[in-house]
Amino acid sequence: MDSFYLSLLVFSPLLGIILLAFMPKGNEKGLKMLGVLATLPATVLALVAYFSYLGGTSLDSFSEQARWIQFGSFGAMDPNLFTVRYELGIDGFALLMIVLTSILATLAAIASFHIKKEWKGYFMLFLLLEIGMLGVFTAQNLILFFIFFEITLIPMFFLIGKWGYFDKEKAAYSFLIYNGLGSAILLIVIMVLFAKTGTTNIEALKILVNSPEQVLTPISDSLKMGLFIALLIAFGVKLPIFPLHSWMLRVHVEAPPSIVMLHSGILLKIGAFGLIRFGMGIFPEEFQELSVLIAVLGVVNLLYGAFLAFIQTDFKMVLAYSSISHMGIVLIGLGAYNEAGVQGAIFQVVSHGLISALLFFLVSVMYERLQTTHIANLGGLAKGMPLASGFLLAGAMASLGLPGMSGFVSEFMAFLGLFREMPVLAAVGTLGIIMTAVYLLRAVLAITYGKSDREYAGITDIRSFEWAPVLVLIGLIILIGVYPAVLSQPLETIVQGIGG
Amino acid sequence: MENAWLIPLFPLLSFLALLLFGKRLKEASAYVGILLTLASLVFSVIVLVGRLTGATYKLEADWLQIGDLQLTVGFEVNQLNALMLVIVSLVSFLVHTYSKGYMHGDQRFPVFYAYLGLFTFAMLGLVLSPNLLQTYIFWELVGVGSFLLIGFYFNKESAKAAAKKAFIMTRIGDVGLFIGMILLFWQTGSFEYDEIFASVHAGEVSGTMITLTAILIFIGAVGKSGQFPLHTWLPDAMEGPTPVSALIHAATMVAAGVYLVATMFPLFAASETAMSTVAIVGAVTAIFAATIGLTQTDIKRVLAYSTVSQLGYMMLALGAAGYAAGVFHLMTHAFFKALLFLAAGSVIHAVHTQDIEKMGGLWKKLSFTAPLFLIGTLAISGVPLFSGFFSKDEILIAAWANGNYILFWLAVIAAFFTAFYMFRLFFMVFSGKARSEMKNVHESPVSMTGPMIVLGILAVVSGYVNTPWFGTFLGDWLVEGNEALGHGHIEGPAWIMIVATVVSLAGIYLAYLMYSKRSISRDWFTSRAPTLYSIVVNKYFIDEIYQTTIVYATKAISLFLRFIEMFLVNGLVQLVTGIVRGLGKTGAKLQNGQIQTYGTVAFLGLAVLLLIFALTGGYLNG
Amino acid sequence: MSGVPVSAYLALALILFCIGLYGALTKKNTIIVLISIELMLNAVNINLITFSKLGMAPAITGQIFAIFVIAVAAAEVAVGIAILLSLYRNRKTVNIDDMNQLKN
Repeated sequence: MDSFYLSLLVFSPLLGIILLAFMPKGNEKGLKMLGVLATLPATVLALVAYFSYLGGTSLDSFSEQARWIQFGSFGAMDPNLFTVRYELGIDGFALLMIVLTSILATLAAIASFHIKKEWKGYFMLFLLLEIGMLGVFTAQNLILFFIFFEITLIPMFFLIGKWGYFDKEKAAYSFLIYNGLGSAILLIVIMVLFAKTGTTNIEALKILVNSPEQVLTPISDSLKMGLFIALLIAFGVKLPIFPLHSWMLRVHVEAPPSIVMLHSGILLKIGAFGLIRFGMGIFPEEFQELSVLIAVLGVVNLLYGAFLAFIQTDFKMVLAYSSISHMGIVLIGLGAYNEAGVQGAIFQVVSHGLISALLFFLVSVMYERLQTTHIANLGGLAKGMPLASGFLLAGAMASLGLPGMSGFVSEFMAFLGLFREMPVLAAVGTLGIIMTAVYLLRAVLAITYGKSDREYAGITDIRSFEWAPVLVLIGLIILIGVYPAVLSQPLETIVQGIGG
Repeated sequence: MENAWLIPLFPLLSFLALLLFGKRLKEASAYVGILLTLASLVFSVIVLVGRLTGATYKLEADWLQIGDLQLTVGFEVNQLNALMLVIVSLVSFLVHTYSKGYMHGDQRFPVFYAYLGLFTFAMLGLVLSPNLLQTYIFWELVGVGSFLLIGFYFNKESAKAAAKKAFIMTRIGDVGLFIGMILLFWQTGSFEYDEIFASVHAGEVSGTMITLTAILIFIGAVGKSGQFPLHTWLPDAMEGPTPVSALIHAATMVAAGVYLVATMFPLFAASETAMSTVAIVGAVTAIFAATIGLTQTDIKRVLAYSTVSQLGYMMLALGAAGYAAGVFHLMTHAFFKALLFLAAGSVIHAVHTQDIEKMGGLWKKLSFTAPLFLIGTLAISGVPLFSGFFSKDEILIAAWANGNYILFWLAVIAAFFTAFYMFRLFFMVFSGKARSEMKNVHESPVSMTGPMIVLGILAVVSGYVNTPWFGTFLGDWLVEGNEALGHGHIEGPAWIMIVATVVSLAGIYLAYLMYSKRSISRDWFTSRAPTLYSIVVNKYFIDEIYQTTIVYATKAISLFLRFIEMFLVNGLVQLVTGIVRGLGKTGAKLQNGQIQTYGTVAFLGLAVLLLIFALTGGYLNG
Repeated sequence: MSGVPVSAYLALALILFCIGLYGALTKKNTIIVLISIELMLNAVNINLITFSKLGMAPAITGQIFAIFVIAVAAAEVAVGIAILLSLYRNRKTVNIDDMNQLKN
């Protein structure tokens, strides 16, 4: 019961932070190496956990808890009342997210070799961010979840504000304001639930909140609906759902690409994770009631992002809008609210994490050499950097849902689910499949193919350390696309029985 | 037959090997590709021979679990795909061999072979698929292979545009297939072909649903097979290297649409509306593309439009319940059209231009290519004793027997046009005198002529597997054991064959008069109906129509949404930041440093709290 | 002794407290404000002693607390006056409105 496995996993980057603190500031190579090395223990531990799960270890055996905070003196009535424990644990979805997070963190750390200044502070914040992300997925109660959630915000703020591009401060502030408001709403929901039920443990809440006739807790149906809508908004900011998305565009454009890899790959997914874990877990009836709304929002996201991506002139903007569009597929899957849909949504969460990480890594590679990401200033990249543009094309193909790559499986399942519940809406949504191809090919072909006015002499193609992220990401994308059971197996128990 | 799954893996291996080691192998890459596709060909032939005597073989494995649903992957060997396997691997093998000469000296030689491998893998995988989902997967992969090969000369803006167009246009169709497939799944509970057909046969699916799904699936076929109105990408796809055009845009991939309709034939057959849709689209495409073919001057574009037109024939056959006729024409067309393209490639290789206005008098200079091109031309024109004659004849009979007399006559006129423009092409390229200066005209190397000879032989003899004179083996074998597919051979009046012969000979004669003997002026028609001519020569302005409607509409929607983004969404942002800033300012104002103000506020707050407490007793919602 | 009801003591304390509060919040002269605060403290003291003697559970704790408050108040006045004096020396004013140094 009390293995410290998850604590070890979540806090393993802390060791790196401490070691970094003792490193001299100017030792660029050493700092970068240490930064990468510090992310490795978490990756190894996460992979070991994944494979031992496949080997038959029960996920419950990973959970752990300790007494932490006690509010009031209700101990005499029930020792669990108004107690907040330090409790970590994972289910299949969380397991996948931890594996994804730790792998992406390592790859993003490698991508951070492109960072040009103040590596010490950068990597310390980076590792802190990783702790926050890992913690979010393992937290077993809402208060712990909230704390880890906030831990991700602060390093992000500094990472954007200090190491970003031209308009970095503005981006950092709009990130903070939106996410701050989102977490404030989340906090209200958590506090109301805590006050009403006396617990924040997710499993306990699932039972208490849904007790028939409000036997166990005094939460009226309208309050539940209110809480769920608040939750939807709180996580909707993160996801982001139209029209709460503008902060995320700025972050995508202004933050350093290695951070965007994590942001787009993991942080956006916290929104989806929260919606599935809490929204669907604690408020299943409300979720079902609003599923049409969620599906409509999904289709709106999908099309809105796609159409706007079509007219962008900066490749990073194209990718930013494409993220909005792809998060629409998550919503579509959730809105379907059946097994296929929810599984599709979770697949999309993982798959988009990998794909957007790949694309942003390539952006980082391009920017480092060419100092621009404007589509008009690129062009003919295939001539000077054939490998990079080959991978860019592969990434775009994955993103537009080419079978054999992970994007297809998730898109397919999400639509499979939605077609069962709302065929007309789903048919409108499939327009998004076409538009995705249109805007991605427009942007990617303009960059890779065509005539080049640029002198490519002296510009190297993908080199040494850059191979690792590219190959790992492409490998995973294809692995999931060809053999999706690697993801679907841990999800079986989660998906089973949803929507009846 | 148990090992049929190996067939697509050889080209995949070729793709991967060349991707990794292509740079080191340089032009030796060709041997890797050729040998591995040869292996595929050998296996395919073994499978076909096995299938001729044996029964359908099917093997499946779990792929994806969704709750209680279990999706599978696997492969199936039935008559249709055993035949397709041989066609695809044979043409692919020949094109691999041919490309060794054609692509010689190209910087990206290994990449070309790698892409060919990818495409062949996908196409063979498509053919082997036992269920719709797997078909869709390979369907898309085939599209990517085609996309990469069209854009092979990526430095050219036109190649870039063509690749993009091909991918997007076919994807529009693919979405139709996607929707149709999923709707069928929820109706029948399976993606498996046999289970879908069983369910349809048992009447578990409503009539409207059958029609709807069949038409949606047909939209997929329309996209892939370049049928009207999604045909515009196919002529543009000629930007790719010529061997690619032979393999993908003549013999295999574009035939995938026909193959799909043939595979789903029991579904289509269950809906009258769906069948007539297929037939009408096919016939319209056949005549429509043939008229455009009359006016083109780029050798490959003429062939491209003839491909579109011939695919229309196949669709017409399937729509007219002539299953065997459609598949038969698919086979013969694969051979003679691949031959034509390879021969055209050989011509282009020799003269370095694609404009037929600049060619002429090549008959003597290209002593191998010219006769082979002639064989292909005779076959496509439907001259008796060549393969195209038999298959086209079957289609015309099927159309007549089905009672679609209008479509029948459309097909006959299209046949006349076909004969005419194909011989126009032939005479302009090979007869008369050269119309521009041409240096270094030389016959192609053996690696190029060899495959052409093989195809030349097939273009003649492949028709004899299914003739009204010696027996309709192919047709009978294809429909064996499956009543839903109709008859292997449809009896029709004998005059149809005579009409077809007369029409094609008339077309040839007219072309001869105009372009070789020149007893009729070339401008005879254009000067009499200039408006009509300009419409046709501009391909009915279809591209322009799309440009001004769909493309602009997309742009307009995008701009409109940007407007929303700028004003509504950013307005929201302004609102949020405004509120935050406003709150901050108000808060700052309260902080005036006057201790007494603070005290007053604190006191009032306390008073309010006490008041609330006094009034409610401490419980806000009672 | 028993003639005076509890409410009288409490009313006295209340009146004293309100006067003190009013003075503390409105008077401009710092000395007066300080005196007003003393008034409020003493109002509290009266309450404490009242309950200590006449409350539901009479106990000596209340009176001890009152003494405690008186002691603290004395200390506070000493410090407060000292601060005021030094302020007056520096700024030549005892007007409370001029003392908004906290703001900047």
